[in-house]
Amino acid sequence: MASTVFTDRQWIERGAERASLSQFLLWLAPWVVVLAMGIYAGGLCLYYGLNQTNMDNRFAFGLWIFLDLSIIALGAGAFFTGFLVYLLKREELRPILNTAVVVGFICYSGAVAILMIDVGQPLRAWFTFWYPNTHSMLTEITFCITCYLLVLSIEYIPILLRNRQLRKLPSFLVFEHQLHKLMPVLAGVGAFLSFFHQGSLGGLYGVLRGRPFAFRQGIFIWPSTFFLFILSAIASGPSFLMLVTAAAEKVASKRLVPRDVFQRLAFISGILLNIYVTAKAIDTLIWLNITSPSLGFAPRQFYMHRPFGTSLVFVEIVLFGLLPAFLLTYHSTAAGRGRLLSAAGLACAGIVLNRFRLTVQTLALPTLAFDPFLQYTPSWQEVASFAGVVAYGVIVYSLSYRYLPLFVNAKGDGSHVSVD
Amino acid sequence: MFPWTDGFRWTLNHIIFLSLFFAVLLTTVTTVFSALWRAVHVLQTHSAAEICWKAAFAELPDSERSCRHELAGRVISRKCDNAFDCRRCSQYSQFAVLPAAETGADMGFHYPKNRFYHRGHTWVELQEDGTLTVGLDELAEHLIGSPDSFEMPEVGSEIELNGTAWRMKKNGKEIQIRAPIEGKVVATGSPEEGWYLKIRPRLDLGDPMTLRHLLRGAEIRGWLNRELERLQLQLRTPNTAPSLADGGVLLDGLMDALPEADWETVLASTFLEG
Amino acid sequence: MSTRYGMVIDLDRCTGCGACMVACAAENNVPPLPQAGSRTGLTPMLVRAVSNGMEGQARREVFIPILCMHCEHETPCVSVCPQQAVELDQGTGIVMQMPQRCLGCRYCMTACPYHARYFNWWDPAWPQGMEKSLNPGVAVRMRGVVEKCNLCHARLHSAKERAAASGKREIDPADYIPACVEACPTAAIQFGNLADKDDLVFREAHSADAFRFLERIGTEPKVYYKSREAWVRALKESVSEVEVKRG
Repeated sequence: MASTVFTDRQWIERGAERASLSQFLLWLAPWVVVLAMGIYAGGLCLYYGLNQTNMDNRFAFGLWIFLDLSIIALGAGAFFTGFLVYLLKREELRPILNTAVVVGFICYSGAVAILMIDVGQPLRAWFTFWYPNTHSMLTEITFCITCYLLVLSIEYIPILLRNRQLRKLPSFLVFEHQLHKLMPVLAGVGAFLSFFHQGSLGGLYGVLRGRPFAFRQGIFIWPSTFFLFILSAIASGPSFLMLVTAAAEKVASKRLVPRDVFQRLAFISGILLNIYVTAKAIDTLIWLNITSPSLGFAPRQFYMHRPFGTSLVFVEIVLFGLLPAFLLTYHSTAAGRGRLLSAAGLACAGIVLNRFRLTVQTLALPTLAFDPFLQYTPSWQEVASFAGVVAYGVIVYSLSYRYLPLFVNAKGDGSHVSVD
Repeated sequence: MFPWTDGFRWTLNHIIFLSLFFAVLLTTVTTVFSALWRAVHVLQTHSAAEICWKAAFAELPDSERSCRHELAGRVISRKCDNAFDCRRCSQYSQFAVLPAAETGADMGFHYPKNRFYHRGHTWVELQEDGTLTVGLDELAEHLIGSPDSFEMPEVGSEIELNGTAWRMKKNGKEIQIRAPIEGKVVATGSPEEGWYLKIRPRLDLGDPMTLRHLLRGAEIRGWLNRELERLQLQLRTPNTAPSLADGGVLLDGLMDALPEADWETVLASTFLEG
Repeated sequence: MSTRYGMVIDLDRCTGCGACMVACAAENNVPPLPQAGSRTGLTPMLVRAVSNGMEGQARREVFIPILCMHCEHETPCVSVCPQQAVELDQGTGIVMQMPQRCLGCRYCMTACPYHARYFNWWDPAWPQGMEKSLNPGVAVRMRGVVEKCNLCHARLHSAKERAAASGKREIDPADYIPACVEACPTAAIQFGNLADKDDLVFREAHSADAFRFLERIGTEPKVYYKSREAWVRALKESVSEVEVKRG
């Protein structure tokens, strides 16, 4: 029933309430500006070299790596939700599945984009595939993240093809239908890949003998940070999904998912956070009392420099760890939305703080006896590039929300009929 | 990466790592190609129309998915969750034997009793030579008026149940008419002739299942009532509330009479979003 | 007999003149830094000035040349490089960096306990005329790759060519001397084969005054230091109360 396909309304689900086109463009405009600035900053780095950043020989990894690790951890909600819905058959999370895939896609594609600017020779990226070093955690990460981005893109295709106009083409609709039937396979592959690369991101730091702040013992070839990173990723992923969905509901001014979805996500996040905080506390004790001294480093050395004092440990484990874990687990049924979202925010902040300490603090702390404690402030190019990625995420998400059935019940009539 | 690459070492690590990588890649690629291959296969057989229809049906709001037995007054309320596929409805028989509401006046519409009606507002009529004639019902004709143009399928081509039977254009809007039955087109008609297609059905007309999904008898009045209610709501001028009306008689050619109405929504609801 | 090239640096003899740094830069075609005072320069050999933190009569200073330690055991940079652009050469014990394969991910720089690796943050550029002083035997690296001391491997290569030209199987040790060793006016840097028990360097490395930095990490560096001063030897483990001055 198309009048002409060039009307914007034609591309939006029949009966779905969306803002007018001009309002939507007004919403997008500032994000497009930020994205443009980000592209410009990234372009400067590619053209002039990495001297455009404030990274140097002592701070070889900076803001970008820290933020990359953070968004990959927060984007873990994608694989975990897929794993829960398709493999563990937790149907109550199905309403959030599409948005999880989009959030995951945004996080991973953004991270890969930043990484391409971060390396000195982006055109040599294929070397890792051609001459892989199987001992290196970074090799594992490269392979896994590339495959996983591929899987996420494939998982995004059915959502794209369910656009009102696109699904009128029988070939698209039929292909989407067939792909949808095979989703559990992709969900399984995604879970497998995610397990390994989330872990390897932890392993990245855990194997560094030369950085005793990061170095951990572990099981077989995997340091304890391997498992801690997986736990923290699956604990914060659902929380991040809650925050994104709540933000979308705020902007759209309507309820997008059934109320119990938030509670479910909060509960899952809470339980996993409890496990993670326990594991982390044990790991910290082992590290401070056994691992570091055996390498010749006293624990107090790690905390004698401002602002990285022992209070940071308290903040990470208690304020951003135990507290949200408690709130999410025990108040998820009775609590109001506000409290759940605050707890989710604290949980995500905790994971981001953890990534910060492992990337930036590790490099700031001295190793040799005559090393100073080092400072690093990111340059505007680094900040702008990352802001560009955030803007890219908001734009992709906004477009997906407007034109694609991200939330199955967004029409508000509460009905849901499965196609198969 | 590959054994013939310069510097490749046959260590256990290498073998495990690369085997896993290639296994993952193979699984992913196989999945996509499998979906593609199956899609092509489906498109080549006749099942594409069924999948498209099921997807379109899933998008219908509850108010447009009333079961025919509710329309007939056999049950108080029942929503179809089977894409109006009465042929494969396990509960059809149990509802069909219930008494229907009294049939009253046709409200001024001509719905001859020897025709069977599809919810996309087409009818089929059996001919003596075993073919079926297909046409637009009176409500649809009153809605559209005289079409600006129409595009018929080729004689000899196959049409699928709930697929596109033919297309019409009116006032710049394109309307796709859903086919009430599957079969081969043996002749095409026109609005003046009063019918649009002559079809040789694929299924046996002697089998009551073949036409089971089409509305008839007591169901027509209930169905038309609903459709008129819906049209009143959808065609009202903006900023007015729906008013209680006695139905009345529809004007001819509503698309010409009310050009400012939201025809996109009206046509999509009436012809079940083609 | 296997070869394990290593060094012993006598810290009591190092005057902090910096000749080794200049010789290294000249030999390895290191470009001058566009910005003074930042940490983005290339100094495969770097002399650090360290004091004992006391003032007045009790103050003591030492100069410590830091270069790649050519770690022998579980070499951190070798195990972390994603595309095997670094290798511990089993024939010589030198940790070889291949800038042509380097992606510039800088993971090795994070991994190095001695911070002896440097990234090409800038495009290499020499003031006009200075390009005539470039060493033709060493390739210039482009921006975006990591580099470090490789014990003047080009000189080893020339020594091998010379030996082959005169029909010998082994190189003459006198033909292979790294630039920093050659330039040091006080002969503070000794270079030799740590696997050869008769070598001077072997004996020096096993003397009582010899030590290695961060030995407890377990990377088995092949650059030894020696000093008769106890406070200098105490620097080998990580102790943070020592005052630091950058050399």
